[in-house]
Amino acid sequence: MIRNDLSNKKPLNILEKIEESLEKLNDKIEIMIEIQKNGNGNNGNNQKTSLALPDASLDVMTLLSMPDHLRKTAMVICRCSRATAEEIAEQTKRARAVESAYLNQLVIMGYLKKERKGRKAYFFIDRENQS
Amino acid sequence: MSKIIAVHSYKGGTGKTLLSVNLAATFAKSGKKVCVFDLDFRAPSLFAILKTPNADYWLNDYLNNTCEIDKTLIDLSSRIPGNGKFYACLANPSTEAIRDMSSKDRKWEMRALGRLLALRETLLKDQKFDYLFFDTSPGLQYSSINAIVAADFVVVATTGDRSDVDGTKRMLAELYNLFEKKTGLVLNKVLDASATAKKTEMQNKIKADYQVPMLGMVPCFCEILRAEGNLIFVQDKPDHPFTKILAEMTKKIENDEVN
Repeated sequence: MIRNDLSNKKPLNILEKIEESLEKLNDKIEIMIEIQKNGNGNNGNNQKTSLALPDASLDVMTLLSMPDHLRKTAMVICRCSRATAEEIAEQTKRARAVESAYLNQLVIMGYLKKERKGRKAYFFIDRENQS
Repeated sequence: MSKIIAVHSYKGGTGKTLLSVNLAATFAKSGKKVCVFDLDFRAPSLFAILKTPNADYWLNDYLNNTCEIDKTLIDLSSRIPGNGKFYACLANPSTEAIRDMSSKDRKWEMRALGRLLALRETLLKDQKFDYLFFDTSPGLQYSSINAIVAADFVVVATTGDRSDVDGTKRMLAELYNLFEKKTGLVLNKVLDASATAKKTEMQNKIKADYQVPMLGMVPCFCEILRAEGNLIFVQDKPDHPFTKILAEMTKKIENDEVN
């Protein structure tokens, strides 16, 4: 199907499409790694309760109780309100891939939302819809 | 560069409101555009100190998302000489409002943090304010921690009281450090701080004790106690030593020289 999709496009577009697909794949792998980690800790039980926290609120007490590496990322997103992993990495001075992993972890924990726009993935706190 | 400054302490009665109002007034006297916010929702006091007319809108309303920030700002620039601008944003002192603010849940506090962070855009960037001062409630209250997270710099007010010293040290290690906040310590109500030798000795001891930069040391002035919080000191007593100490502090904050 992808082959049909790409047959009429220029090489640059094809490469962009491949990159986008790889990024999506990367996100999924990161989520699987997180599930694996949490699953191991719980001997396979209660995976859903430990990971899926759709109502989790990123308030200051939650920030205080977070591990240092996640707090750093969460603090920046609190201030930016919406950013890509690259933008967060610029402020934390850590690698984009590292920030991407931490951001996805915060998404899994229910503190952030993620939205794709074209090739970019934006992370944000959904303050108004958390009730 | 514009800044949000939170004034916080471990215990009450350390002089947070006195410092907030007078630091803000000192900046306004030097031509800056400033606003002081009362974030002590459990014991609001700014309205009494500034003797403002009854406000139509309070900071509570802004945080409750029932009005925009402009409606809550009271222009008190006429009280300060020069071209500076001095605004206040007050907490509602009614018992009903205090009760309401005490019963907020985590989700509300999270949104309140968002509203405080938004002031960076609306007031600092769009309305060209130079400094916003958050006068907080003491200890680990939600509103205070929200203010600290939203701030660029935290002025930590402390006294020589042993329980205050211990609590302040804990807060420095377990609160400001965790949020990677720049802090400046103000030792207030210092006895016998007039002699220069004694002053230097005390400053060195404090730096060693707390392991954080010092913003300043304020001796215990009877005139401040006598004023009973009834005046903007740096305005009403321009030649008083307290006014000069505050001017030094603002210079350090402005030039990023807190060390």
